[in-house]
Amino acid sequence: MERDRIRNFCIIAHIDHGKSTLADRFLEITDTVPRQKMADQYLDRMDLERERGITIKAQAVRMDYRLPGGETYRLNLIDTPGHVDFSYEVSRSLAACEGAVLLVDASQGVEAQTVGNAYLAVEAGLSIIPVVNKIDLPAADFEGTAMELADLLGVDTTEVMGVSAKTGEGVEALLRKVIATVPPPGGDSRLPLRALVFDSSYDVYRGVVAFIRVVEGRVSRGSRVRFMATGAEAEVDEVGYFSPDMISCQTLEAGEVGYIITGIKEVSQIKVGDTVTGRDRPALEPLPGYKEPKPVVFAGIFPVDSDDFQDLEDALGKLRLNDASLTYTRENSKALGFGFRCGFLGLLHMEIVQERLEREYGLDLVVTAPNVVYEVLLRNGETVYVHNPSDMPDMGTVREVREPYVQLTVLVPPDHVGGVLELLKERRGIFQDMVYLSGRRVEVRCRLPLAEMVMDFYDLLKSRSRGYASLDYEHIGFLPGDLVKLDILINGEPVDAFSSIVERSRAHEYGKRITRRLRELIPRQLFDVPVQAAVGSRVVARETIKARRKDVLAKCYGGDVTRKRKLLEKQKEGKKRMKMVGKVEIPQEAFINALRIGREEDGR
Amino acid sequence: MRLYLHWPFCRSRCHYCDFVTRVAGAGVQRSYLRALLREMEMRACQSSKRGLRSVYLGGGTPSTLSGEEVGELLRRACGLFGRVGEPEVSVEVNPGTWECRDFLLAGKAGVNRVSIGIQSMDDTCLRLLGRSHDAGRGERAVRDAVRAGIPSVSVDLLCGLPVEFGHRPRLDLERVLELEPHHVSIYTLTLSARNRMGRAVAAGELHLPDEDRVAECYLQLSEMLRVAGYQHYEISNFCKPGHACRHNQAYWRREEYLGLGAGAHSFLSGRRYRNTESLLIYRRRLEDGRWPAVEMEPVEGESEYFERVMLGMRTARGIPRRLLRGKEDRLRELQAHGLIADEGGRVRLTEPGMLLCNAVIVELLGA
Repeated sequence: MERDRIRNFCIIAHIDHGKSTLADRFLEITDTVPRQKMADQYLDRMDLERERGITIKAQAVRMDYRLPGGETYRLNLIDTPGHVDFSYEVSRSLAACEGAVLLVDASQGVEAQTVGNAYLAVEAGLSIIPVVNKIDLPAADFEGTAMELADLLGVDTTEVMGVSAKTGEGVEALLRKVIATVPPPGGDSRLPLRALVFDSSYDVYRGVVAFIRVVEGRVSRGSRVRFMATGAEAEVDEVGYFSPDMISCQTLEAGEVGYIITGIKEVSQIKVGDTVTGRDRPALEPLPGYKEPKPVVFAGIFPVDSDDFQDLEDALGKLRLNDASLTYTRENSKALGFGFRCGFLGLLHMEIVQERLEREYGLDLVVTAPNVVYEVLLRNGETVYVHNPSDMPDMGTVREVREPYVQLTVLVPPDHVGGVLELLKERRGIFQDMVYLSGRRVEVRCRLPLAEMVMDFYDLLKSRSRGYASLDYEHIGFLPGDLVKLDILINGEPVDAFSSIVERSRAHEYGKRITRRLRELIPRQLFDVPVQAAVGSRVVARETIKARRKDVLAKCYGGDVTRKRKLLEKQKEGKKRMKMVGKVEIPQEAFINALRIGREEDGR
Repeated sequence: MRLYLHWPFCRSRCHYCDFVTRVAGAGVQRSYLRALLREMEMRACQSSKRGLRSVYLGGGTPSTLSGEEVGELLRRACGLFGRVGEPEVSVEVNPGTWECRDFLLAGKAGVNRVSIGIQSMDDTCLRLLGRSHDAGRGERAVRDAVRAGIPSVSVDLLCGLPVEFGHRPRLDLERVLELEPHHVSIYTLTLSARNRMGRAVAAGELHLPDEDRVAECYLQLSEMLRVAGYQHYEISNFCKPGHACRHNQAYWRREEYLGLGAGAHSFLSGRRYRNTESLLIYRRRLEDGRWPAVEMEPVEGESEYFERVMLGMRTARGIPRRLLRGKEDRLRELQAHGLIADEGGRVRLTEPGMLLCNAVIVELLGA
């Protein structure tokens, strides 16, 4: 195919704004997937994705479309993940395109993430086609939404198209618009190979499948290639494209999108954002933009049954094969035994990993409340990174504790700005500015400690704006804070799994909440159990779990000893499922729920 | 030989009842009685052990049988098994079922202990519990038994009733103590989804008092009984000296017993048996000359040890310390919490410890 008949584009949309449905219509109209074979939302392949209605792994589909006039164009639709946790992946997907369809739900309007991703696309130099979806809905506000989009992109409202991905209305016109507006890819096939890895997947039998966009040169079966960032080298076993199933071909040339399989078995060798070049005729420079994905949210994952430790380790190893951004190291908690401290790109990523471990590997897990990584400057000048609050060095040796911040953008209707500002203040947000967009929406910008987001911020934001607020954020690095480690002592013994790092001025209030919560979560024992929150040696809050008073089977009826014995044996078994911390029995749920304070307390 | 006879019929079903019992017509009761006698005969032929040392007629409401009928049943049992000296013979009696005459006839036939299911002395509570008697009848039953010369009269009381009942257990006990029974049993209400009150509690229509209140109440009742001269010889049981129930003590000492009737349990030669609870199957099996036991479990090793501790710890005597060898740390700790006493080579529960019997046993027997 001649290069000027190729179009590489993506769809940028907020969750639920209809990206996958639109992609399905494209597949149908271009006969890439026959109508009868169409499972809804073909591009979202993982079960989990389909269930949650979100895209985790990007996909790239080649569609050949014949214009009514007769000419056939090759359209490569590159799917992008829709969640901020994966913004780096989004940026790499965008880098593989020349154009983007910016899709907004006519009944919802522009959301913060859409704005964020639209800016990313503008910065990447993509030509953008603004589209309003769901115009068939009775609640659709095409005019208002089109105005917002026009404002956002600085274009005229007449340039905004309306479609209904569900009914197919306007979709064909949109395809023609893509052909007309998105420029064909540049690049010279005669230059040394430079191809961008914008995603990868893992095949149990064949190893890593790298999704690539060839920017310069060409790659063929048998080519010897090198991955410039990781230095991995291999021979290409197979070259191909997605239609949407994998179809092998001879060569991918500059401007084309497809995949290569090299026999490399580890995802860590083929990283998203890396540049593939020829081993024998390498390019001088890699493509710009490669970054190591850095986990920002951490949580301990422990097997409920300590015998499952090995299974958990195996499962994490397998997950990492197709999720290079997941990190994990062994951890030994006094309370929970052996497990792993895992690093995630964000909360959604964490939930997905947990769900996959439980669903795909059948493991019962205790996942501790998530926390962020802290950068700790010691008095001796050394800097250490603390991934687990219980590893915080003695405060006497610490000069400064810095915590990760995000640049936060919240879009909210003017009526709810007050509640949002109040929440930001409560959550230690550093206010920056507030801009009215089109009279329907206010954009609030502030800096917020990531630790506050990790807890329950999103839920609270939604509840205080009656569901109207949306947010976007990017990580902006570490800022110093007046932070202390809050230890929880149960029956006088510190329990590492309950430690947290909090702002000094809030230690008392936070300690009160968590001790009260633990008093509810830990069953009464045979003796009084004090639960204390302490900063260093200073106790800032205290509760007492009163001793149990009554636990007796009253009647020994007619000599039925067996039933009594079985009841007691059952009680004895139940005890085994508790974690013994010192002399106190703590149920698994306490570890999961203790630090999740806030959710239940915000009833408004 | 110790003999338990189960009479699974009541005049009406109480709202908190979990036991094997039903309300049935005279015909059903007669055919059950025939089956019971048949089982007795089969067992008597087969058993090598002779001589009854105690008999306990429980239910249900065995006092739906008349004093005469109970006497007859007892005579048959003694005829078949023989007796050793003067066995203790207990019958559970519900107020309002037996007249003075019944007590007299039963006493003449050898019944020397009655356990009267008074439950409460508060008419409102009795009605809400679904009992068919009132406080006056309860009081009369005790007086009739005493007047008939039954040498050991016991009274059952309940505590831990739903807060909505406005129950005052101490007043109940005061009134009961005026009747000077020889023995008092105090049970805390135990509910399950199988009974009406249990379902009402689950549905949030009734509320049980919290464990602190029940514990407090139980300790107060226990103290009142102690002051009145009763010995606390088992978790739920108090007696004037010499009036402990020997039959029940046999359970806690792991002595053998033969249980006859639907749902009855036996413990013979280290094995525990359970009869079918279905009246129909019970009758059919016996008509066919087959045993009505549906479950048999040899109790040995770990289970035997478990039972020894579990049963022994219910009593004031406790268990020999040597049974808990290797658990010294736990003993010390439980002692420090004031839950057990460790003296004279025996370990027993203290008063607060009795209320936590399950937890203490699990603690002692836990891995």
